[in-house]
Amino acid sequence: MKYLIMCEGPNELEIVKILLENDLLLFDKDELLNLIPYHARQIDKSPAVQLALNIYPGEVTVLRIGDGLTEKLRIPNKYKDKIIAVEKYCTKPELEMLLIIAENLLDEYNKVKSAKKPKVFAKEHIQCGHQKYDNSTRFYELYFGRNPLLLAASIKEYKRKHGSHKKEERYLADLLK
Amino acid sequence: MKLLRVVASYFKNCRDNFMIDLISKSKRTSEDKEYELHEIDEGLYVYNTVAFVGKNASGKTTAVELLDCCYSILGEFRVENKTYQYDHVTLDIIFYHEGMIYRYFTKLEADASLENKAVFTDQHIFQKKYYKSRSKSVYDERDFKEMEDLGSLPEDTSIVFFVLKKKQTRALYFDSEGKGASTYQLLFKALRNYKISTEVLADIIHIFDENICGLQMVDDNNYKLLYKAEQKIVSDTELVHLLSSGTTKGILLYTMAAASLQMGFDLIIDEIENHFHKTLVENLISFYKDKMVNRNKAALLFTTHYCEVLDLFNRRDNIWISKSKEKVYLENMYENFDIRTELLKSNQFYSNAFDTAVNYEELMNLKRKLME
Repeated sequence: MKYLIMCEGPNELEIVKILLENDLLLFDKDELLNLIPYHARQIDKSPAVQLALNIYPGEVTVLRIGDGLTEKLRIPNKYKDKIIAVEKYCTKPELEMLLIIAENLLDEYNKVKSAKKPKVFAKEHIQCGHQKYDNSTRFYELYFGRNPLLLAASIKEYKRKHGSHKKEERYLADLLK
Repeated sequence: MKLLRVVASYFKNCRDNFMIDLISKSKRTSEDKEYELHEIDEGLYVYNTVAFVGKNASGKTTAVELLDCCYSILGEFRVENKTYQYDHVTLDIIFYHEGMIYRYFTKLEADASLENKAVFTDQHIFQKKYYKSRSKSVYDERDFKEMEDLGSLPEDTSIVFFVLKKKQTRALYFDSEGKGASTYQLLFKALRNYKISTEVLADIIHIFDENICGLQMVDDNNYKLLYKAEQKIVSDTELVHLLSSGTTKGILLYTMAAASLQMGFDLIIDEIENHFHKTLVENLISFYKDKMVNRNKAALLFTTHYCEVLDLFNRRDNIWISKSKEKVYLENMYENFDIRTELLKSNQFYSNAFDTAVNYEELMNLKRKLME
């Protein structure tokens, strides 16, 4: 069995890549389908994921990673026997929660959270060196790439502080060693 | 250096102004940027995979031969040992190199000697700096400036030399014929020139034949084949028979792909599905779409009859349909067809959305004859 990691956006993908490269996940790249995590919302819209599924003859568990993952995953008929499980790992309301936690700004954010999305708050308050947060993948690479342990700690802290996930929604922390 | 566009006239049996454009045209999603495109400069995206499809004798091979011709000029500054006529061919090539856009015009003529090579006449080369703000007008003629007083070269050497300066492999062309017994000489030359490790070769051979652990060159025509429990020294001709022509071709092609991915040059394949298991074709395509493997921005450009391969493309602008009505021409799946994007490209192909179906009446004519 292999894991197919499907990240909702390029920033989630970057986070997973950092965790993977620094051996912070419960599995290593050999356990991943085609050795890499993917940026894909739906299998039927992602030829890259289909290529990976076509190459591997065994069973696959899909790990979906994203903010809310409200859209149901459609599994094409040809992969119905191959995909044995689908699990959701959420960082809701938005991935920027990890940056806010990493910057110790969670209490400050909580004061304004009803009026401000994490993305907007992060753009106003967070920077890495001279670069202000701009929702770019490059920012995540710069910010967490050089400090993967801070990323892992932020993910764990998110789970500790954010206990309101639905039953079927797991936490990124559940994938950490 | 990246080839961006070529416009050719009098090339084989092509229509005049036969054009192949390798800059992305349709909307670029974040998934496309991850899996379908290379950003070679800020805001300038080219494809990592390009397909040419069409009926038999519609000009697919002609299209990739034109690309091969351009890469010969850009890599070796020469055009030689090709299987087509050079006389009167005109080329308008646009390429990107180190922050600049170059436009190169030339006319080819056959060399007056007995050698199979072209000479370059009426050459002009223009340049302009690339700016992100002008990424949508890369081909705009107005801001190009001609490079003058470049100096003299032998007539069989292109003035592109003055820009690129050093011979370098820009692409490898893999035709559908195969190289027969000389494959293995070529293979070991590729290993040496492109610094491919013997471990990579062993892994490639293992994909095609699990019983073989390795292959070593003894001399130009003899090779040592390593099995788990024994070794055999065989000639190149024996080797092709021993391993089969499909395996021989596959090993060479995968080695060329490994070189292309490591060095960042492009790989052009005529009939990618020829001799290959579907999974091996898909795996090759997946290498070029995977930035962890394709770190040096190589591209895979291929022809195929195998329409299911097109379903592995997320975009449509990197797919060309070749057609032949007296002359060969290309249509772009994005620019020339208004198709339903939610349907599989292969299904649309088989339902003749691109006017590429095999003529049913011709098939039945043959069947009627066979039934007589």
